[in-house]
Amino acid sequence: MRQFMRSLQLRHVDAGSCNACEQELSALLSKEYDIQQYGIDFVASPRHADALLVTGPVTDTMKTALAKVWEAVPRPRRLVAIGDCAAGCGVCQDAYASHGGVASSLESPDLIIRGCPPTPEHILNQLRRLQWKDGNPNI
Amino acid sequence: MSYLLFKDASGDSWVRTNMKHKMNGNQMLALTGLRGRLLKAHWLTTSGDIAEESLQWEGPGFPSLSRFLPEAAWDEREIHDLFGYVPDGHPELRPLVRTPRWPKTFFPLQDDADSHPHWRDVEPDNPSRIVEGDGVTVMKVGPTHAGIIESGHFVFSIMGENILHLDAHLFQNHRGMEKVLETRLLGQVPALVSRICGADSVSHQFNFVSAVEQLAGRRAPEAVQWDRILLLESERILSHLNDLAQIPAGVGFQVANQRGLAMKEKWQRGLAAIFGHRFLFDTLDFDREILCDKDGLRTLVRSLEQSWSQWRRLVDHHRGFHDRMQGVGVVRQSDAERLGAAGVAARASGLGFDARTLMPLYQGIEVEPARADGGDVEARFQIRLQEVESSVRILKIALDQVSVTSSNSFWQPPCDLSGDVVSYSESPHGLNAHMIRFEDGRIQRYHVRSGAFRNWPVLALAVAGNAVADFPLINKSFELCYSCSDR
Ligand code: SF4
Repeated sequence: MRQFMRSLQLRHVDAGSCNACEQELSALLSKEYDIQQYGIDFVASPRHADALLVTGPVTDTMKTALAKVWEAVPRPRRLVAIGDCAAGCGVCQDAYASHGGVASSLESPDLIIRGCPPTPEHILNQLRRLQWKDGNPNI
Repeated sequence: MSYLLFKDASGDSWVRTNMKHKMNGNQMLALTGLRGRLLKAHWLTTSGDIAEESLQWEGPGFPSLSRFLPEAAWDEREIHDLFGYVPDGHPELRPLVRTPRWPKTFFPLQDDADSHPHWRDVEPDNPSRIVEGDGVTVMKVGPTHAGIIESGHFVFSIMGENILHLDAHLFQNHRGMEKVLETRLLGQVPALVSRICGADSVSHQFNFVSAVEQLAGRRAPEAVQWDRILLLESERILSHLNDLAQIPAGVGFQVANQRGLAMKEKWQRGLAAIFGHRFLFDTLDFDREILCDKDGLRTLVRSLEQSWSQWRRLVDHHRGFHDRMQGVGVVRQSDAERLGAAGVAARASGLGFDARTLMPLYQGIEVEPARADGGDVEARFQIRLQEVESSVRILKIALDQVSVTSSNSFWQPPCDLSGDVVSYSESPHGLNAHMIRFEDGRIQRYHVRSGAFRNWPVLALAVAGNAVADFPLINKSFELCYSCSDR
């Protein structure tokens, strides 16, 4: 029964991805992965979120917007980097308009999900770990 | 034309020759800025040749084409932002890629540009163009969104329910990919171009490989060519399945959306098993020997055909769904032509152009451009339906061919490759061109002009006059990738 007590509400921000990471996140909502059955869902406002998922290397134009969204997530909160770009080891790491990932532009993520892009299965497994991690904000 | 457009005769002929290409029905492939006050325009002629025009000038400004060729308006704004070259007489010269955060003297594609500029500590928003007057409301959306989508900032001027004007501020995803590609050795390029855009990756990979081969004077063995067709068409199906599933979601037709996504997922899992990647990144190179499991691909195609016919019945017979799509987000043929629309958006407005009819790669196969003429959401939906079916047909032809040809070649480009070259392909989002300058086996300049880049101004026009609530539907019917145009 404990499983029903833990839900994880996510807000996503694209900070310069190539859109494949987004497509894999969207796939989580399809019936093949059905992320909602685990009590995980995407919400429309950061104010309703427990965690922020970031894709892309954090472009300069998205840096301020990303910081504002992060600021709007109520505490306790979790920060998740999705994909190599956000993790700081993607192909456009050193581009002039890139800030080299979430850690170097915002703060150290609580969870890094590597892959280019990570598969939906992998993302799902990792998010479920976050759900059950010690200090989970939702317990 | 007998009047002189510019004081300087070379400027005058620059405008005239480029207009002449347009009047002859040629397609603009790319307008590329190069260091040393140099511009090149490349056109794909109706017979499949590539024509090059160039302009070199003194002083800060060059004669703008945009008044005469509106489709060059974004290209010139981008050149202005990235090089600092001023298009004289541009009707709307305001920042496209640049934001107020960029240092005033930072022009990333110039030689002396900082590799990491000192960004100014201000907000990144550029002033918007809005309609002023009684009863007009301005609604701003983005750059972050209430769903899982790419970032873009849209400023709507609305009156009652209806959109009067949309000012799209894109390039939030501008990473600086063209600059990243500069100075790279050829071997480093494929991984980068694969990731310009997740939806059109194969098309970008193909353009690079085909550019190198053109310059080196190589013709890939037939087996390798059929393999490339398999990849390009597999990608088209993947991308169209995604877009076809998204359109019903825009009107709340969830069954069609979920079943469409299921077809896409199955296709993607199949591609991963056969080619090694769910988005076909890093799959196309000079000599990809036909590693793919052809029987596996045949089975995958057969299983797609089965679920496809059921799905088609579902969407074809839902009258309410078609009612919702008809007459919404209309692009007139004349506007599509004037703005240089590409791909699905152009074909849905009655422009029967598909670059595959001219690509040497497809010469062994008959490709009929898909046709529709409503210019609305319905027409764009119908074009994709036709194209999935024709891609399935092409895949089957190519699969029969690969079984009779085989290649064991190994080819590497010469390590001192130098020169300028343009390559193109029909990506799932339309005509996609790369203009590349090589110098001693390294990239000196890499310019990408994608289908999405051409179509954003067309989308802005298509939404005017429609209800605000229909914006998501119209947007989905174009399904333009941001990363392809923002780079
Ligand atoms: S990690 Fe890979 S798939 Fe994800 S945004 Fe970056 S390049 Fe694209």
